[in-house]
Amino acid sequence: MSNTLRLYLACIRNTLDAALCLQNFPCQEVERHNKPEVELKTSPELLLNPILICRNEAEKCLIETSINSLRISLKVKQADELENILTKKFLRFLSMRAEAFQVLRRKPVQGYDISFLITNYHCEEMQKHKLIDFIVQFMEDIDKEISELKMSVNTRGRLVATEFLKQFV
Amino acid sequence: MAGAEGFVEADNAEAIIIRIEHKSRKIESLLKQGKPIEALKTALEGAPPKTQDERCKSANWIVVHRALMAIKDVDFMFSSLDPEYYDILMKYLYRGLSTGDRPTCDQCLRIHEKLTEKAGLGCILRCLADTVNTV
Repeated sequence: MSNTLRLYLACIRNTLDAALCLQNFPCQEVERHNKPEVELKTSPELLLNPILICRNEAEKCLIETSINSLRISLKVKQADELENILTKKFLRFLSMRAEAFQVLRRKPVQGYDISFLITNYHCEEMQKHKLIDFIVQFMEDIDKEISELKMSVNTRGRLVATEFLKQFV
Repeated sequence: MAGAEGFVEADNAEAIIIRIEHKSRKIESLLKQGKPIEALKTALEGAPPKTQDERCKSANWIVVHRALMAIKDVDFMFSSLDPEYYDILMKYLYRGLSTGDRPTCDQCLRIHEKLTEKAGLGCILRCLADTVNTV
């Protein structure tokens, strides 16, 4: 199964490599405004085709590009109810601190767990391949984090239950 | 003017769907003979150009999907596939990846990796940028 993960991440990395071709583009409608076009979607000529890459029924990644910005939305694998809650809480925790991450979006796109918004300014300040490395590394680490959290919740639950039930033995 | 074009589209759509059915019969026979690469070439060849009709696109996608899933040896496939088919194959791969069906996605991811190695990032970018001839 790790082979599909490797292929999935390779596919996303290649697509991002090709799609991260951003340049500065001031707003066409309003003077002196500069907005990320992928968020507003006002002019169709500035948008490229959105790409949806699914690994299986549960995990997918939506990549939408425009002339000056790129939006990546991820849906993380959630096997059961506990993972569902853990993922939601953990990713909400991260999204609330989006300022620190710079490329993170405060609210995920509808239907996904977490979203990134990369603009041309980010590409000017930071190196493109490092941005892509960050996103791919994030995807790998999220799975590990969620399994670790789940294991610690289960271990703690077991310890607490053992201690509590000892008094009835 | 738009009305006349609408009529032409409808006629063309029927003609295209009939052509796609012929193609799918040819592809079934090629697959039975054990020639998956020729089947894929036939599927990619007659891809309907500049059709906005969703039915034609879905019909062609089903045919290409059948040929793609029959491919077992990806490296061998690339050694006999001409470069002119790379762009259209990449578009169909992305369509396959968006379905979310596990075996399709597995196969598409496998082919995508090899295709990117062969065709490069330009192929992916042409897929992204081509809003006129979508698949």
